[in-house]
Amino acid sequence: MTGNSLKVLLVEDNALNRDMLSRRLGRAGFTVITAEDGAAALDEMRANAPDAVLLDMNLPIKDGWTVASEAKQDSALATIPIIALTAHAMEADRQKALSAGCDDYATKPIDFPALVAKLEALL
Amino acid sequence: MNMKRFTARLSLRARLYLFSGAILTLFAINVSTHLWGSLARTESLVAYRDTVNAAQLTSDLQQSLEAARQQVLVLSTLRETTDEPLDVNEQTAALTDLENIETRLRRLGTIGTEGTEDYYRRLQESTTSLISGWRAFYRQYNDTDATIDVDSAVNFNDAIQRLGELDQRQEFLAIQRSNAIDRTIALTDRITVIGFITTIAVTLVLVVVLIRATNASLQRLKTGAQRFGSGDLTYRIRENLEAGEIRDLAHTFNDMSGKLQIAIDEVQSAKADADSANAAKSMFLANVSHELRTPLNAIIGYSEMLQDEIGDPGDVDRDQFRHDLGTIIFSGRQLLSLINDILDLSKIETGKMQVSLEWFQPSALIFQVCDALSPLVNQYNNRLELDIDNDAMGEMHSDPGKLQQIITNLFSNSCKFTEDGVITVAATMDDKWLTVVVSDTGIGMTADQQSRVFQAFVQAESSTGVKYGGTGLGLAIVREFCSMLGGHIELESKLGMGSRFSVQLPVDPESALANA
Repeated sequence: MTGNSLKVLLVEDNALNRDMLSRRLGRAGFTVITAEDGAAALDEMRANAPDAVLLDMNLPIKDGWTVASEAKQDSALATIPIIALTAHAMEADRQKALSAGCDDYATKPIDFPALVAKLEALL
Repeated sequence: MNMKRFTARLSLRARLYLFSGAILTLFAINVSTHLWGSLARTESLVAYRDTVNAAQLTSDLQQSLEAARQQVLVLSTLRETTDEPLDVNEQTAALTDLENIETRLRRLGTIGTEGTEDYYRRLQESTTSLISGWRAFYRQYNDTDATIDVDSAVNFNDAIQRLGELDQRQEFLAIQRSNAIDRTIALTDRITVIGFITTIAVTLVLVVVLIRATNASLQRLKTGAQRFGSGDLTYRIRENLEAGEIRDLAHTFNDMSGKLQIAIDEVQSAKADADSANAAKSMFLANVSHELRTPLNAIIGYSEMLQDEIGDPGDVDRDQFRHDLGTIIFSGRQLLSLINDILDLSKIETGKMQVSLEWFQPSALIFQVCDALSPLVNQYNNRLELDIDNDAMGEMHSDPGKLQQIITNLFSNSCKFTEDGVITVAATMDDKWLTVVVSDTGIGMTADQQSRVFQAFVQAESSTGVKYGGTGLGLAIVREFCSMLGGHIELESKLGMGSRFSVQLPVDPESALANA
């Protein structure tokens, strides 16, 4: 789990959750960059070309579903894998995230080892 | 077909009576025509018999007259040639014969007198003089002095001619009458046949019309029943096309369908209510699940991270640890208040929320709440202004726990959405109402947001909870508590200009409820 130094973009507007998850990912060896809203997330993707995106769905300015579908329509960003992070736990919510263009889906509270396994599987 | 439309407008019973009456009338006409024909036949027979009788009598009379003349001529010749007198018996017999002839002549007068009167009178005139001549001949036969001219051929020929004329006249009249009667018979026969055929035809037509009209009505009833049966309860049998029992039946059918529709509508509306209640429950559960997961994510995430970090070599960063533990505690408390709110809302929705009334001082309670929440005011560099006339406000009879929660929710709401501004809490009370106004100079809301903000799990924006925290339940609970205490809440707000929540509660909710 260590030393892979892959670049992960964490998009999360809740300060506590952003702080917690970025620190844990950093401890796991990822290089973490963060964004607080959907528009900033797309900017970061373009500017820093992360290896993967962890995307909260309830975001200000542009929500996660919009970010995912816009990223998948942009040829420069389409190849970046996106994992949806959301407190919506229903199967319909999972389908909604996947059909918006997310590659995988993780429900809050986050099972951290499982999330790392998903990231490694995608990369 | 007008007939059909006409019959369709009659009741079934009236149709049956009408048609039976029509058929019976036709039969009666038929029978009377037939009777008239029979009568004419009898008349014809009588006339024929009279003709035959008269002809017979005429021929007899002709023979008798000729025989009597022959006898008179023979006797007259004998009288001139011989002097032999006439026997009394012979004389009597001859007179009787003459009388007999006269009797038969009279009888001839009685047969078929109409139209023959003139002829008969002329016959009678000539025969009377002829026979009286003959009678005188017989009476004076033995009187040798008398000269009798019996060979009155003119008289005799005249009588015979008159007799023949009468005979011809009678025959002519008989033929005429017979012809007339034959025509009548032919006519009545034709009428009888035509009448009979007409009766059959009309009966058939009436039966067909009756059957078709009734059948059309029954068909409409059947179509209606089928449409109702297949669930088309908006269908209506056209009652204006029917009459009597069938219209009653159609009306009953339509009525039944209407009532059925109402019953089905009620059941469907009950089902829709149940469905929407069920959907609301599911939505509530989904929302609860979502709301609980957000603080749990922080609690579990920080706890696991601390567990990892405590195993790291080297010194523990105590400040970092303290901060992380504080975050866990904050999230845990948020979770607790969330659970409390959810329980409150659930109790309200199931009607299990109790109101416990007691006498208390609302001003003291408001001060207490504002004091307890002062850290929230400072969090975003806000200033609190209180406008409460402590001395002018007496006691009220209400639920202090609920009032406390109302003010807490409104106050923390204002603090959450205001930065570098002013939070104002004002309270007044008269003998009927307590009015508490919580206003701020915060971000405010659009009209659309204001309309949704009192709904459970709804915040002005879906991102509001993320940015400002809160469960989206606070204002829903405030509104419910206000109405439970017999009062109400009003909101005035403008985007970017702050919000003003005004709560009015009755000083004594029991009297307020009684007045409502």
